[in-house]
Amino acid sequence: MEEKEKDSDVMDSYHEKPTGFKTWSGLPLKNWYGPGDVSTINYGKNIGDPGNFPYTRGIHQDMFRGRYWTRREVTGYGTPEETNQRLKYLIKEGSGGLNVIPDNPSIMGIDSDHPRAKGEVGVQGVPMCTRQDMELLMEDIPLEKISMSLIVSSTQTPVALSQYIALAESRGLKPSDLAGTTQNDPIHCRYAGFANSSPINLALKTGVDVIEYCTLNMPRWYPINVNMYDLREQGINAAQELAFGFSMAMLYIQGVLNRGLDIDSFAPRFAFYCSAHIDFFEEIAKLRAARRIWARIMKERFGAKNPNSLKFKFGIHTAGCSLVPQQPLNNIIRVAYEAMAAVLAGVQSLHCCSYDEPIALPTEESVRLAIRTQQILAYETGVALVADPLGGSYFIENLTEEIEQQANIIMEKIETQGGMKKALQMGWIDAQIDEAALKYQREVENGEHIVVGLNKFRTDEETSVGKVHRISPDSEEKQITRLKKLRESRDEKKVKDALRALKSRAEEGEKENLIPAMIEASRQYATIAEILGTVRIVMGEPYDPLGVLSHPFF
Amino acid sequence: MALKRKVRILIAKIGLDGHDRGAKVLASMLRDNGYEVIYLGLYNTPEMVVQSAIQEAVDIIGISFHSGEHLTLTPILMNKLREHQLGEIPVIIGGIIPMEDENILIGMGVKRVFRGSLVSEVIEYLNHYFK
Repeated sequence: MEEKEKDSDVMDSYHEKPTGFKTWSGLPLKNWYGPGDVSTINYGKNIGDPGNFPYTRGIHQDMFRGRYWTRREVTGYGTPEETNQRLKYLIKEGSGGLNVIPDNPSIMGIDSDHPRAKGEVGVQGVPMCTRQDMELLMEDIPLEKISMSLIVSSTQTPVALSQYIALAESRGLKPSDLAGTTQNDPIHCRYAGFANSSPINLALKTGVDVIEYCTLNMPRWYPINVNMYDLREQGINAAQELAFGFSMAMLYIQGVLNRGLDIDSFAPRFAFYCSAHIDFFEEIAKLRAARRIWARIMKERFGAKNPNSLKFKFGIHTAGCSLVPQQPLNNIIRVAYEAMAAVLAGVQSLHCCSYDEPIALPTEESVRLAIRTQQILAYETGVALVADPLGGSYFIENLTEEIEQQANIIMEKIETQGGMKKALQMGWIDAQIDEAALKYQREVENGEHIVVGLNKFRTDEETSVGKVHRISPDSEEKQITRLKKLRESRDEKKVKDALRALKSRAEEGEKENLIPAMIEASRQYATIAEILGTVRIVMGEPYDPLGVLSHPFF
Repeated sequence: MALKRKVRILIAKIGLDGHDRGAKVLASMLRDNGYEVIYLGLYNTPEMVVQSAIQEAVDIIGISFHSGEHLTLTPILMNKLREHQLGEIPVIIGGIIPMEDENILIGMGVKRVFRGSLVSEVIEYLNHYFK
């Protein structure tokens, strides 16, 4: 009996075949594609050579022959001193691009000694309360020689940037000497779980302030990274990722245009952050479609003339939500496929997830493996030597067109509601996200989508990843003690004066740029909560996003 | 036929972590499966969870963690529950939890830990528990 069962198992597995013929986003797929599937696509008009409008095949003619994509891995944990050690290690290992992520309290714009920050300081990133934290974070690191990426919410960005500029000044550098990126996406943090700390009007105002300030003073800085990735991680599909992301970007662009800036003065510094999910061809097609859509939006809608304004520049984060804790080593394979899709799609900067992410904070070993995954792709596989190697495939061109059309339909829906801000305020975007997340989960639950180890090919015994990276429990205490000491030792009058000046600038109205006043407050060691709280009050919001504290000075 | 009272389950995230996709999806699917869900959303303190548990007379509490706060915040929640004589309410935990921490959480009084499971496994567990 038992043997008979085994026989039928063997036969079942021999005859097994795919059950559905759709992409993960639900696009139906044909058995094969031929010339008839691309007959409406004109090479010159819709595709173009690499480096040529509409940039479907890539933004550079020589693509990776000119330069590999940037391999950036995110860093930030414990105290600023601990993260400084890790940054120096990365520089020593040859990394010129640093990528720092703040902890949850800093992202929300509250200080490390906030009563609700207990247990959160230094856990998911590094605390960045004052210029002092920035000094410690960047100690012995020459700011003028590195490219600094601050993965900061649009709430936190103006303050983090001001701290960075104030630090640079103290070393005799000018803002124009600094190269780097701030995330600064006014809407995405709503969908990364920070809705109440980033009310839309405040986030849009400071987000545009940063773009305007950087355009006028920091030619080597990328002031915004439109973050489609975090939205995708909420469960939306490939076409929605593009549509929501571009609708956000158009809203921000309009905000900057309203300040009187010329489109070509700032558009070349717009960059995007996208997902590479597990559906290999769909993700490649999505990114090719993204370049084409963006080029057309910039040219036709905003009248941009500088070719650099038309080029869709993007970083990729492999999809964290595609990884599962069951049989964790399998995640190495998932990440490798996702990273390969990113490279075949012509990525500018790549972050590979660590395979242990669905289990714990990544260890040093798992982060190294993520970097090695990229290096094997770059140096061994040969996939980086030819631009857009899949271009011209009947299937890929058809799928690119399909996703472009789907994304355009969703963008029109947002447009008819009055744009992204309105769609968001009416709850339409949230409803779309919730619906998509449920659909995704149902399809995994009912086996329509297979996730190896989760809903198929399970094992009874689970493997541990072994070492788990833990944050030292002293870090939080150290950080809080130092912050309290700083509050006592700084010149209270100067702090107050700077905050009062910031307040009166904010009262001037939406178009008044607050960055210079924030730089002055950062010089005087005002904290992130004090700086943002001052602006929040003027905009009719509570001083403290969590409603616990009130303004220490007024 | 007597109307059976629906099982009331409180779903919440505690701490400042904002990853709520899992908790939201779970809440929806539990509703689809006949449970009464009290969804508290983000940024709760253990005290807020306990107060809601009292007001809503819940039968079970489900907490979702993502970023490594489970070991510091769970004991606070469990103590608060005991302080309010609610130690009998079962607590289940889900999210990103290292395997090694499962037994630590169980040792703190947590009934069950789900580490990136299918929703159907959670429902199966609850159906069995409240049979």
